[in-house]
Amino acid sequence: MSAALTCSAADLSSLLGPNATAAAEYICGQLGTVNNRFTDAAFAIDNTYLLFSAYLVFSMQLGFAMLCAGSVRAKNTMNIMLTNVLDAAAGGLFYYLFGYAFAFGGSSEGFIGRHNFALKDFPTLTSDYSFFLYQWAFAIAAAGITSGSIAERTQFVAYLIYSSFLTGFVYPVVSHWFWSPDGWASPFRSPEDRLFGTGAIDFAGSGVVHMVGGIAGLMGALIEGPRRGRFEKSGRAIALRGHSASLVVLGTFLLWFGWYGFNPGSFAKILVPYESGSSYGQWSGIGRTAVTTTLAGSTAALTTLFGKRLLSGHWNVTDVCNGLLGGFAAITGGCSVVEPWAAIVCGFVAALVLIGCNKLAEMVQYDDPLEAAQLHGGCGAWGLIFVGLFAKEKYVNEVYGAAPGRPYGLFMGGGGKLLGAQFVQILVIAGWVSATMGTLFFILKKLDLLRISEKDEMAGMDMTRHGGFAYMYYDNDDESHRATQLQRVEP
Amino acid sequence: MASSTISCNASDLIPLLSGGANATATAAAAEFICSRFETVSGKFTDAGYAIDNTYLLFSAYLVFSMQLGFAMLCAGSVRAKNTMNIMLTNVIDAAAGGLFYYLFGFAFAYGAPSNGFIGKHFFGMSDFPKPTFDYPFFLYQWTFAIAAAGITSGSIAERTQFVAYLIYSSFLTGLVYPIVSHWFWSSDGWASPARSDNLLFQSGVIDFAGSGVVHMVGGIAGLWGALIEGPRIGRFEQRSKPLTLRGHSATLVVLGTFLLWFGWYGFNPGSFAIIFKSYGTSPGSSFYGQWSAVGRTAVTTTLAGCTAALTTLFGKRLIDGYWNVTDVCNGLLGGFAAITSGCSVVEPWAAVICGFVAAWVLMGFNKLADKLQFDDPLEAAQLHGGCGAWGIIFTGLFADKTYVSEIYGGDPNRPFGLFMGGGGRLLAAHVVQIVVIVGWVSVTMGTLFFVLHKMELLRIPSEDEVAGMDPTSHGGLAYMYTEEEIKNGIMVRGVGGEDDHVQGHVGVL
Repeated sequence: MSAALTCSAADLSSLLGPNATAAAEYICGQLGTVNNRFTDAAFAIDNTYLLFSAYLVFSMQLGFAMLCAGSVRAKNTMNIMLTNVLDAAAGGLFYYLFGYAFAFGGSSEGFIGRHNFALKDFPTLTSDYSFFLYQWAFAIAAAGITSGSIAERTQFVAYLIYSSFLTGFVYPVVSHWFWSPDGWASPFRSPEDRLFGTGAIDFAGSGVVHMVGGIAGLMGALIEGPRRGRFEKSGRAIALRGHSASLVVLGTFLLWFGWYGFNPGSFAKILVPYESGSSYGQWSGIGRTAVTTTLAGSTAALTTLFGKRLLSGHWNVTDVCNGLLGGFAAITGGCSVVEPWAAIVCGFVAALVLIGCNKLAEMVQYDDPLEAAQLHGGCGAWGLIFVGLFAKEKYVNEVYGAAPGRPYGLFMGGGGKLLGAQFVQILVIAGWVSATMGTLFFILKKLDLLRISEKDEMAGMDMTRHGGFAYMYYDNDDESHRATQLQRVEP
Repeated sequence: MASSTISCNASDLIPLLSGGANATATAAAAEFICSRFETVSGKFTDAGYAIDNTYLLFSAYLVFSMQLGFAMLCAGSVRAKNTMNIMLTNVIDAAAGGLFYYLFGFAFAYGAPSNGFIGKHFFGMSDFPKPTFDYPFFLYQWTFAIAAAGITSGSIAERTQFVAYLIYSSFLTGLVYPIVSHWFWSSDGWASPARSDNLLFQSGVIDFAGSGVVHMVGGIAGLWGALIEGPRIGRFEQRSKPLTLRGHSATLVVLGTFLLWFGWYGFNPGSFAIIFKSYGTSPGSSFYGQWSAVGRTAVTTTLAGCTAALTTLFGKRLIDGYWNVTDVCNGLLGGFAAITSGCSVVEPWAAVICGFVAAWVLMGFNKLADKLQFDDPLEAAQLHGGCGAWGIIFTGLFADKTYVSEIYGGDPNRPFGLFMGGGGRLLAAHVVQIVVIVGWVSVTMGTLFFVLHKMELLRIPSEDEVAGMDPTSHGGLAYMYTEEEIKNGIMVRGVGGEDDHVQGHVGVL
């Protein structure tokens, strides 16, 4: 039987006998020091964990940049990569100035935060710089997603404007609702204030990050229209293939790698025992989250592999990569509160959802070079529903705090309240992002600031506004050029 | 007077407190103090779990990044027309491996308690986690399993049907590899150094991070695949010398190599699994602990790779007449494959020797392969099989007594490296490891490849091989640089001369 480390010298000395005050104070003082050193150690351990998780999430920027580059035509490569670099950079500035404050700023009401602008009165007991950095890495992920939908035809100025608005305002407000302890739909709210008695569970952001990025991209791509040549007058879709499958695979694997910071890292702390002295603690939940993430992605990849083999007749690596990412986007919401076998179900359905959304997009002549709206929006939404169905009671209580009668997944016997909250989340995110980003894109279009001219689109954005092509394989010198020549492939 | 544990026995404490007359109060005081010490002990245990799991998880993520490294290395080493094929095999490795290792691979490998041959618990992660195995350990082992399967894909690149690939990869990751890892890494395994009794030659095999378990398994499997399906078209057709079918992008080769190097810092040092362990005689008595050994392992890894790289650089300069980056990259990786077995139990100076010899072993095996007309696009069998085997021998020669004792504990008279004065039993056990791995993998994977070959499921038709697997089975080419290429499906080719198969160097990055 163990007790808290608090030690009252008065209590102890009465037990030790008449002359024992000094002894009691000595012992209690030592125990107090021990307690404090534990507190220090926990901060060091948890911050190490969170910082390295943040670096991993940051590497997803690199992954997304490579994925985007490989997925667009060579003549637009520099453009898309510049948007990714600027995402991170502009996001850094705006999230510091007010994004973080709107998201997590101190004690506020349910809609928006209002403290810690430019990190004033920071750090606090609950939030240190590692937490800010981690949240910044998430914010720039959301903005990156949108860039994929509007690639190859968007003016750079429009890009700067929407990206700052998304990272500095639209996204932070959404993250406030679902992740701040004050947010109106947050599962961290005090029990009597929770939406439907539960709050919406979106652990690492199938909705907050992926749906927000995807719906914003949807608005942009809808308003500016498809790329030239994508849909013939008859309605037939032409594939405008990306220029490098190697970059697509490189980018996908880097995103997979970084997802191990995105999902498990969202616990923020690793040193939380579930029963003192037992081997089972938050570190187990974190490990389990890494496993569910892996299984969902793997299953989605395999499902896409065989699905596409049936549908198109060959084994398609770039489609498999997208399917893989769709599985990750889906599991992101529930990765910490479901069993590994459920993650397999999640990934399987996510693959089908992506294939279905892509077919739908073609039918309605919606063009998204990275299929970002379908992947992040569609699979993200599925991920939220999935949580409402498969969340396990034990894990929900461990992660979000035990409360008697707390709702959990419908298929696990937890009733329909959590699923109800998830539906609310989907509707609210779709509504908020459409209203804000849709309006912004519309205004930009009316001001002729959104889409580039047809001439520029045919020539390629790198040539017309980024100083030249991304790739220079020949010098102007004739000698080296003679070494290689393009030749038709013999039949 | 320092105490060695935090545990506290009230009956021991009471006589020390009995200055006061009141026995009940003294007992209560003892209870008071002891229970707080119990809490302290519990909190240290919790902190230990948090620290060790953080360490293991990030190591797992690093090993996972080796998939990416190997994908890029493979892509850069094959011709442009086969790029999508090889990269898809790497993606599917990780994905299919995830599923099969979860379903039964981990169970066969670590399902204790069990017998010496194969494990039998934790199928589909049932009864999980246990105090012995938590989720981070599973994830870490998964990343190792998919590494082994990835290696084999290099040997059979550019000419293997995708269906054959799916079949062998699942079989290797789900059964063949887990069983080998059970023998040498599970506490039940017949050749494991962690056994409580009946150690092989009173020693067990020390293959710390898998020169044998991972590299030899992947390499020997690749050897059989490549042997049975034969060389690529054009590789050995000229009588004078073999034709080099060069990879299409040196940039991707270097990118992949560096990523593998980066990930190796999870592969080797991470194999300790636990970092929070002091080697001092009592807690707090020493700065020297398992964290030091972890760091030393990262150093030996680094030194072996560096030495192998430099040796290859100068060796190839002498033999071929120029400085060759892709050969240096392969040499580097050969050094890593070799040191993987003994990285934790040898001195840094020994790691230099390991890398030096590994470079020559690789060059020698490559020459031998050319002579025997064995074609391996990634030289995977030579590198992982050959340098892996050298690494196992190396450990039997250079394992240091103190390090073996710190890491594997047990009998203070346990065998260690022959050249360090430890007798020949460790080396003997290591020879057994080589023989057994070659035998097991040859029997299983050799048979599988042979069956696939007989069923005409292994190699692709020659028209497909000449045109390239990407246009014929994967929907098109990997690279589209100009509008003309997009319109006409043009592929880059070298011009004129006898070398019609030599690729031009319009690469990707």
